[in-house]
Amino acid sequence: MTPDDALRTRLDEAWRDPPGLWGFLTTVDHKRIAARYIVTALLLMFLAGVLALDMRWQLSVPDNDHMGPQLYDESFSLHGSTMLFLVSVPLMEAMAFWLVPLMLGARNMAFPRLGAFSYWLYLGGVLTLWIGHAMDITPDLGWFEYPPLSGPTYSPGHRADIWAQMITFTEVAALCASVNIVATILKMRPPGMTLARMPVFLWAMLIASIMTSLSMPAIMLVTSMLISDRLVSTHFFSPAGGGDVILFQHLFWFFGHPEVYIIFIPATGFVSSIVEAFSRRPLFGHNVIVLSILSIGALAFGLWVHHMFAVGLPRLGNDFYTAASMAIALPAGLQIFCWIATMWSGRPRLDTPMLWMIAFVATFVIGGLSGVMTASAALDLQLTDTYFVVAHLHYVLIGGALFPLFGAFCYWYPKATGRLMSERWGKVALTGIVGGFNLGFFPMHLLGLMGMPRRVYTYPASMGWEPLNQVATAGSAIAVAGGLVFVANALISYWRGAPSGADPWGGSSLEWATESPPPPWNIAYAPVVHGLTPMWNGSRPLPVMDGLADDHRQVLITSVTDAAPLYRQTSASPSIWPLVAGLAVSAMFIASIFTPWAVPVGTLLIGITLTGWFWPRRPRAKQGPLGTGG
Amino acid sequence: MSRAMRRAVPLYAVAILCGCTKEARELGPATPQTPPIGNEDPRIPTYQDNFYQVSQGGRYFAWYGCSGCHAEGKDAVLNLADSEWRHGFGFANVYGAIAARHGRLAYGKRIPVEQMWQITAYARDLSSHYPEKRRRVALDQQAEPVGGTWHGPQ
Amino acid sequence: MRRGAALAAFLPLAACGGIQSPLSPVGDQAVALHSLLMLSIMICGIVYALVIGGLGWSLRRRRAEPPPDTDARALDHSLWIAAGVILAGLIALTVGSFIADRALFAARGRDALAVRVTGHQYWWRIEYRDPASGRWIETANELHLPQGRTARVALGSADVIHSFWVPNVAGKIDMVPGRRNLVDLTPRRLGWFRGQCSEYCGAQHAHMALDVKVDPPAVFDAWLTAQAQPAAAARDAVAAHGAAVFAGACAACHAVRGSGAGGRAGPDLTHFASRHSIAAGTLSMTRGNLQGWIAQPQAIKPGTMMPAVALAPADADAVARYLVTLR
Repeated sequence: MTPDDALRTRLDEAWRDPPGLWGFLTTVDHKRIAARYIVTALLLMFLAGVLALDMRWQLSVPDNDHMGPQLYDESFSLHGSTMLFLVSVPLMEAMAFWLVPLMLGARNMAFPRLGAFSYWLYLGGVLTLWIGHAMDITPDLGWFEYPPLSGPTYSPGHRADIWAQMITFTEVAALCASVNIVATILKMRPPGMTLARMPVFLWAMLIASIMTSLSMPAIMLVTSMLISDRLVSTHFFSPAGGGDVILFQHLFWFFGHPEVYIIFIPATGFVSSIVEAFSRRPLFGHNVIVLSILSIGALAFGLWVHHMFAVGLPRLGNDFYTAASMAIALPAGLQIFCWIATMWSGRPRLDTPMLWMIAFVATFVIGGLSGVMTASAALDLQLTDTYFVVAHLHYVLIGGALFPLFGAFCYWYPKATGRLMSERWGKVALTGIVGGFNLGFFPMHLLGLMGMPRRVYTYPASMGWEPLNQVATAGSAIAVAGGLVFVANALISYWRGAPSGADPWGGSSLEWATESPPPPWNIAYAPVVHGLTPMWNGSRPLPVMDGLADDHRQVLITSVTDAAPLYRQTSASPSIWPLVAGLAVSAMFIASIFTPWAVPVGTLLIGITLTGWFWPRRPRAKQGPLGTGG
Repeated sequence: MSRAMRRAVPLYAVAILCGCTKEARELGPATPQTPPIGNEDPRIPTYQDNFYQVSQGGRYFAWYGCSGCHAEGKDAVLNLADSEWRHGFGFANVYGAIAARHGRLAYGKRIPVEQMWQITAYARDLSSHYPEKRRRVALDQQAEPVGGTWHGPQ
Repeated sequence: MRRGAALAAFLPLAACGGIQSPLSPVGDQAVALHSLLMLSIMICGIVYALVIGGLGWSLRRRRAEPPPDTDARALDHSLWIAAGVILAGLIALTVGSFIADRALFAARGRDALAVRVTGHQYWWRIEYRDPASGRWIETANELHLPQGRTARVALGSADVIHSFWVPNVAGKIDMVPGRRNLVDLTPRRLGWFRGQCSEYCGAQHAHMALDVKVDPPAVFDAWLTAQAQPAAAARDAVAAHGAAVFAGACAACHAVRGSGAGGRAGPDLTHFASRHSIAAGTLSMTRGNLQGWIAQPQAIKPGTMMPAVALAPADADAVARYLVTLR
């Protein structure tokens, strides 16, 4: 199982990236791409957090003049758009990018160059929005820009278009990433890892990626329709012109609701992995958890109207969506039960990653319950568009996605870097973040029930909202301070942390079989899997399958359900084409903010770069499953 | 990696510095204005080249009743989109025409100076729009009041 | 009796209510929603306590040895029990929601006062239907309601999406361009309340509030009759001068019925001085605030569509004195 030096050298030769800047620009190593995603997203999370603190400062006293309405509106729009499109989904994708091949014992993802391409497009979206902000053309209409406010009449200029194209960038990137993840999980599993023996984390990433593919087209469509209304004067959202303002809301939320589950479901994968490892027993109710993820994935597409309960849609429809929105709490609740049952029947070890999971349960359940309250169409008429819903969405997104993400970061940091983060400072950071978050956001439930609406840059002194707003500001500041401690811990441990070895936590899945940090080729031999927890099955050394080439890039392709080996596939080498194609696509997207001619010209340019990308470099196979028989 | 970063920084700085004044949107009390002094008044681009000011002009254009007469499809002087200006196209020319050449309507006395600037910028901008764009904006503004008439919500 | 005891547990919550709060319901609709809210908080509170209890118990139960098999069966049974508990809670809330929803629409089919409210950036145009003549009586930014009677409010928008929300009386309904939505308001208690626009509508969304007064029916009828009257002519010289300045500088956008000023772009000011606040709930109604508002609206509500009209100090004073006579 341990590769000898000659094998290592050959694998290094085959799988290493070119040196220097060229290597940086051409790499298709999923770990390097994931690291890029994570660093960019964490930087944006910091920027969005600063915006949030600024807004909290503005709201801490009534009639405050720290920010005027224009700046405040830009701030909440930028904060929401950044956190939802540029941080949450990309971070989950990035964790999948990094972990999926490692957990599958595979050398790389199914489409390596597509992975690089998706990062460049994501970066294009980031730059579109944030350079726009630096140039003071920040979108200021919220993270979902309803028309007619976002139409050509009431939002002159290009601010709304910058938002819409940022979305186009990130959605194409997300579609590329999800296709990659689905193909890898379905076709590159190690021999013996049937679907029944696949860890929950991989199920979670599979379902989230399928959901991405099904829901993203809706938002690409609706933002393109908005740009079309603004640029070439179509009437999609003009009631007097035969269009419908509510069409935007339907199409947007058809994406928008699955989007929040796309963010939450990977988190359930993290929780499952970490709770299993730290309870030191296989996950209780594995089938229940997998079925819950599947049903959440399916149900999520039937709930979107609960974001529109106040629009005045027919009552029977509202009743249906109330029932559906309540129903999705059942699988979520069963998952929570299974995780707690795992802890109950196991021997829990309370290291930092596990503490994050405990914080997750305590926090996310509050968000889920406030969600059940807003699921009622009738009650939602008092709660929607108030600070109650601001509290709800932050509890589910931060408690339900970011806390598992922080825990996952602590859990897999030793694998990625070969060093352990400081436990003491990790606990300090956790206390600051979890305590600060709850202190900051729980009062918002009360503020909403006291009548404070959303998206207001100030409020009158006579309403009595000041004390709770000040508590909210204090809590948020503490949470951000905790976040800074977390980042400092991560940075300092990179150089000064204790060496971790391959398996510091005693994990159950295959990524712990290889070195820390993993070499570019991940693992020397394809492991053969006989159960759900291959690292705990007791067999040492791990059974493996030999036969993959070690002098060029080659991966093993297996069948979808039974993971029987099918054939060996040459894996793509480093290439500049993803960057070039990304630049062409970026040029087209940005130019189409200003002129419709960008679309035909840009398409031509993209066609040229894609031709370069896919230009065949080797003859087609003549035999085997891929043979052309010629 | 650091070479790329070092190359990017001046680009970023240029992007920030040149800004995009067309999109600027300053809300709040403006300094009191006087009418434009000639067609080369340096204050003109702040209004004429700014999307927000032109669009505000469009809304006041309806509210002060201008769109009652100056509508799509009217002929001669009533059609502002045909680029034929009896009293000259310069900013001060158009401003003066609105302020002083509407007889009893006496816009110069009734409309505040800043709004006059915005309406002038809007009127001069009309001819640069496609008819589809003008129609699209008019559809959205159908439920806005026009002078002394209002036809109800959308 | 039981409901009283349960509600008593929520007393601290009730103390958080106010004139713009679902926690202090005065209307039939808001009362139904308040009951649903209390039920929800109770059920959610119980569930949360169970979850935290389970979590805490699991963590205290740390043992060195692997657990015996009987635990596995107990856990399997508990899974079914947990599913049952979750389902029971969800069904209770769903049924409660349907019942509350019926209460919101219970007044349909009954004779109601017809009101039309149109959202503008950033004020409310309010029209009452005079049952005698069938004409619409226009006012702005302040809604009066008769106690014990249902007012059926037809909601529309002149520009972008707004939302009509008077939390003490009923839930919110959006005012969507191209749609006509209806909301029933049946207030049972007298007093002043406050509503606020609840759909982001632009720069001054934060300052688009609505004063709501619930009066005894007789007082309401008298108020409506007074609102239908044109404005009385100005009596003293300063006010008369103010009226003249108004006709030149303000009448393009504002209407004062009976004086010749007929602009529809801004709020109707015929009975302006009888209102509780200025600029859609932004300033309280005093002459000083009024003069500040007229002098520089952009300083108080930056981004509002009301321009700063340059008036000589004497003229500005006269206009303010004129407006406060418009009761």
